[in-house]
Amino acid sequence: MPSLHRLQAHMMQALLDGESESEAASMRLVTGGIAPLERLAVYRNNIEINFAASLRASFPAIWRLVGEDYFLQCARQFQRSQPSRSGDLQHVGAGFSEYLAALHADDEFRYLGDVARLEWLCQGSLLAANHAPLDLQKLAGVAASQYDTLSFRLHPTARLFVSDYPCLNIWEANAHETSATDEVIELGVGAERVLIYRNQLQLQFYRLSIGELGFLRAVEAGAGFASAIEAGGACDVKFDAGSVLQRLVAMQVIVDC
Amino acid sequence: MPAGAGIGLRAQHHVEILRELPKVSWFEAHSENYFADGGAHVDALERIRGHYPLSLHGVGLSLGSTDPLDVQHLAKLRRVIERYEPALVSEHLSWSSLGGRFANDLLPLPYTEEALRHAAARIANVQDALGRQILLENVSSYLQYSCSEMPEWVFTAGVASAAGCGILLDLNNIYVAACNHGFDALQYLNAMPVRAVQEFHLAGHSRVEINGCELLIDTHGEPVCEAVWDLYQAALQRFGDLPTLIEWDTQIPALGVLMAEAAKADQLRERIHAVAA
Repeated sequence: MPSLHRLQAHMMQALLDGESESEAASMRLVTGGIAPLERLAVYRNNIEINFAASLRASFPAIWRLVGEDYFLQCARQFQRSQPSRSGDLQHVGAGFSEYLAALHADDEFRYLGDVARLEWLCQGSLLAANHAPLDLQKLAGVAASQYDTLSFRLHPTARLFVSDYPCLNIWEANAHETSATDEVIELGVGAERVLIYRNQLQLQFYRLSIGELGFLRAVEAGAGFASAIEAGGACDVKFDAGSVLQRLVAMQVIVDC
Repeated sequence: MPAGAGIGLRAQHHVEILRELPKVSWFEAHSENYFADGGAHVDALERIRGHYPLSLHGVGLSLGSTDPLDVQHLAKLRRVIERYEPALVSEHLSWSSLGGRFANDLLPLPYTEEALRHAAARIANVQDALGRQILLENVSSYLQYSCSEMPEWVFTAGVASAAGCGILLDLNNIYVAACNHGFDALQYLNAMPVRAVQEFHLAGHSRVEINGCELLIDTHGEPVCEAVWDLYQAALQRFGDLPTLIEWDTQIPALGVLMAEAAKADQLRERIHAVAA
């Protein structure tokens, strides 16, 4: 009689690795009218449906861009190479953008990986913690001579996204049932820099200047106020620290000082 | 937790529930759906909890697995319990992971002494970590292991007794397993220790034909069938007037459809126990 551990190892290989025949024999399943392989197929089907449904919920624009058949095919292959590692299915999409990027590295769908990366950042933003806005009174109490010691951090829902493709346009045209799908998006319009954040539980997008991106990347990396401004200025000679900070604080994208 | 019939909470209904505050006895939420640090779902459940009693029902703890218990998952479960203060917390008598890989499905255990001792020890550990008793739900199954040493009902009752946990009796799952494996659902019901059973689940299933043989699949995408309503009445008589949940997970209908199913359960409760709904 196989031990519980051996039985579970055989079953998992049969279900996730497609090695049904030899594993089913090792498990000694009861036949009773329906063959063991058919019974395992019921479970494998459920497992694939659950995985694909979770992936679809995280990547609605990819689903609409590639269509149901191709999406399900990708989901099965991705599940085979990167099965779920958690009892919480919300994590299964973690490597999907890299998977799609590698799959379409050299063809006309090379933007798919970046659109998927944008969608995964959106999910991260939607599920991130709330955080109190920046305490402006506390900020006002800091002497000008002490500004260099100030440090901020990004709001937990804020994510920075950069791509060579107009992914936000693509996402906006495909993420929702009501999205317009007949819009022609020119892939060669240039690089895109987007700040993703959440406001009142709603996803928000803000297109960043190159200076703003440099500043926020520095903040994200834990730099102090002075270094972050320096980083913004290094990216863009027209970088205006005062107005940028005012805008980002008003958007509640910068917190803690 | 009131004995009235509750409804499985699904995200599609969050807005309507908060807008209308419909007359529903209680809601049961899938624990993992609220593991996030923040966001719309977490916020909605907090507000719904302000108006209704709540049960948290987990699908991902993989209680019967021989992998080490996922302490991160357990910590998140503990956090949602602290956040929402549910009246009941439940999980499944099944396994879904091995070697760190998850099937994210409720796979049946072999009904052996080894599996019984293993599952009971894990459940006792979970109850220690959470500082409370959990309810254990029987699952549907589409296969049986020839190494099983006892019927499923002896196994379920044995695990609950050894672990000191309660039982969430899913009457649809009993019916599905009884049809698929050819046993009498009432025999299962009558083998359950009366005091351990603390909640009922009701749901719909679908039927598929494989090589001329019928197999029932626990899809949670249909109304509760007549045979399961009959089993529910038998359960009400044997175990008393307990919290009952209407579950629907695929092709989720309008909230009104779920409320109609809950009303039907309440009518049966009233008829059998002569209590106000």
